[in-house]
Amino acid sequence: MGKTAYKRLKGEQQFRQRLVLATLSGTPILIEDIRPDETSPGLRPHEVSLLRLVETISDDCSVEINDTGTKLRYKPGVVMGGKHLDHDCGLSRSIGYFLEPLIVLSLFGKKSLSIRLKGITNDPKDPSVDTFRTTTLHMLKHFGVSLEGLELKIESRGVPPLGGGEVVLGVPIVQNSLSATEWVDEGMVKRIRGVAFSTKVSPQFGNRMVYAARGIFNRFIPDVHIFIDHKSGTSGGRSPGYGISLVAETTSGCLISADAAVCFTKEDMEHFEDSEEKPELSPPEDFGVQVASMLLGEIEQGGVVDSTHQGLLFLLCALCPQDVSKVRVGKLTPYAIETLRNIRDFLGVKFVINPEPTTNTVMLKCVGCGLKNLSRKTS
Amino acid sequence: TVSRQSKNLMQLVYGQPEMITTIQEAQTGSGSEDSEDDEFFKPKGEGDRKSSKGTTSNSLGAEDCSKYTSQINLKDWSSEDLVQSIRDRFVTGDWSK
Repeated sequence: MGKTAYKRLKGEQQFRQRLVLATLSGTPILIEDIRPDETSPGLRPHEVSLLRLVETISDDCSVEINDTGTKLRYKPGVVMGGKHLDHDCGLSRSIGYFLEPLIVLSLFGKKSLSIRLKGITNDPKDPSVDTFRTTTLHMLKHFGVSLEGLELKIESRGVPPLGGGEVVLGVPIVQNSLSATEWVDEGMVKRIRGVAFSTKVSPQFGNRMVYAARGIFNRFIPDVHIFIDHKSGTSGGRSPGYGISLVAETTSGCLISADAAVCFTKEDMEHFEDSEEKPELSPPEDFGVQVASMLLGEIEQGGVVDSTHQGLLFLLCALCPQDVSKVRVGKLTPYAIETLRNIRDFLGVKFVINPEPTTNTVMLKCVGCGLKNLSRKTS
Repeated sequence: TVSRQSKNLMQLVYGQPEMITTIQEAQTGSGSEDSEDDEFFKPKGEGDRKSSKGTTSNSLGAEDCSKYTSQINLKDWSSEDLVQSIRDRFVTGDWSK
């Protein structure tokens, strides 16, 4: 075997995207200087867990990490997919962190994927599993992925710090390739849906959140329905918390989401164990208003997706056949900009970016890299 | 001006390769000045804090998280002006425009 030419990268930034793009483009990568100057250097537990997850779903890939974890050598293999897989996502990041790369990778697998993921389902940092179910998965249909077999079942919830949630994800494979899209019409908001969950707290929390959020929306639109999902017992995980995931549906079928969750941090829990006082979470009314305001902020921005999904949208556009894709988004987020740079570095796809001052939105156009699903069995 | 604006945005995203290299050189120059002998034993954490403040590229991708969290200064949507400003983004808004 000849020597493999590794693409040399530095730093811990954009770890997930680098991994996804390296795998899809078949580029071996060597990442150096992963947090070399921090008190605890090297890869974080969730990053290692993600690498294990990639190993689980692919064949013939190799991951080498040095002793301190500051250097990683990754040689991608073939994405296999498979049924009845299992993965523990750990407790340092939520399942949302893993879902984003996992969905894109498994679209280009040999077989469709069905995997059970354990860990944190809702947290303040990553998009929640509810948002994935209501918004992210539906984005794929704009790129020619059939919704059949595409599902996310939430079996139990778990919030930080102890988690205990479980979801089952099913992703079909694309038969040949994605299809390019022209997705520029954002339409007008016609209804608002959502899920408010609460676990290991009073069941009233759900109602109080929804009541407050609805108060904000009442001035805009009457068609608001937010489901209340209260979990108790083992299906509620091991920590108390509550949260809400909202989706605005437009006349042109775009979904604009916003979500957040409230829970204790690890430090809080340790602190409370010492003191006699019972810990309390912030009032659900304020929180309901806050998330409702976040959603209105997203609607104000415009664009066919919300700020959270910009990165994924660009990635899907870049993976299309050699055809022009055209999308409209609101203000570019730092994460989306980093995504655009990574796409250029790995796939050689450069977007044409045109701001539209009249609507304060940004138009992006690109010609896809023409990625075909080569892992698929050819008959 | 529209074409210039679009060029600027593309430059912001993709940058100009020459510009990036000069910035990095300048930073390494100032860094070596800082690390004089009295700071020979420097705690690892502090060095990191300094550099992350200096470089924008570091702070941008510091947290690998797709959710845009800098929406902390949320607007108060109970104010009438704000409500009117996005009125037409809803089906209940004015369709004649």
